Amino acid sequence: MSNAHNRHYLIIWVWLLALVVVSVTAVAVLPKFQALLLIFAVAIVKALLVARNYMHLKNERVIIYVIVLIPLTFVIILLFALFPDFVYRG
Amino acid sequence: MSGAGIPPGKIGTWWFLASEIPVFGGLIASYIVVRLGSAGWGEASGHLNFTLALINTFLLLTSSMTVVMAHAASQENNYRSVANFLGLTVVLGLGFLGVKAVEYTTEIAHGFTPAAGIFWSFYYGMTGLHGLHVLAGIIVNVVLWIGALKGSLAHHGHRVELAGLYWHFVDIVWIFLFPLLYLA
Repeated sequence: MSNAHNRHYLIIWVWLLALVVVSVTAVAVLPKFQALLLIFAVAIVKALLVARNYMHLKNERVIIYVIVLIPLTFVIILLFALFPDFVYRG
Repeated sequence: MSGAGIPPGKIGTWWFLASEIPVFGGLIASYIVVRLGSAGWGEASGHLNFTLALINTFLLLTSSMTVVMAHAASQENNYRSVANFLGLTVVLGLGFLGVKAVEYTTEIAHGFTPAAGIFWSFYYGMTGLHGLHVLAGIIVNVVLWIGALKGSLAHHGHRVELAGLYWHFVDIVWIFLFPLLYLA
């Protein structure tokens, strides 16, 4: 049982390392804007891999998702609320 | 949407982690908008040691794997394996802090202190707060490791999962700090 779990965790770890390589390579070979899009997309995928597999979020009840998503939503609102002020300020 | 059946400790840990999201999320959101509105940050971040950050990424991702393996072992009451995996996690966490200390020392020696500019203020603020969280996680894991060695953890095996949740959260924060500070 534990061996099967550990094999799964090892596979996720290999994916995480492979995604680090993707990010680093993107910075080296892609134009700046495309590289930025890719490295942050990769960061989100890595975070989801850890949350779903290592934190077992994929097996959790809805209440856990609610607990996590409420503050996350506020952070995203904060980001977009501040964005125009800083970026378009003369 | 009931929490029935979920152990109170797990609900409490997730509440705690949820409260941490605005702490790091607020810092990261502020960093992004200030950076987008300011020039010259790319030059400042060019002074960071990318290789050391890459080593730290490897250490923290690996420690996430070892701590979840400790959790899997605790579910099978194999506390010898729990101790081994927690010990590895602690070593990897200490490695992360050691590398970070080398980074800080080098940067400060070159004059890049927290007062050297807004990029450096953010850099030390975000990585310093993250480092303190790593330190707290190490302390918790050391306590659990001692419990696993002495046998007292057998009655509180669920604590390995709760400590692991916290450790993974710290890993996720680094997953975003690494590209924000070293790649972007």
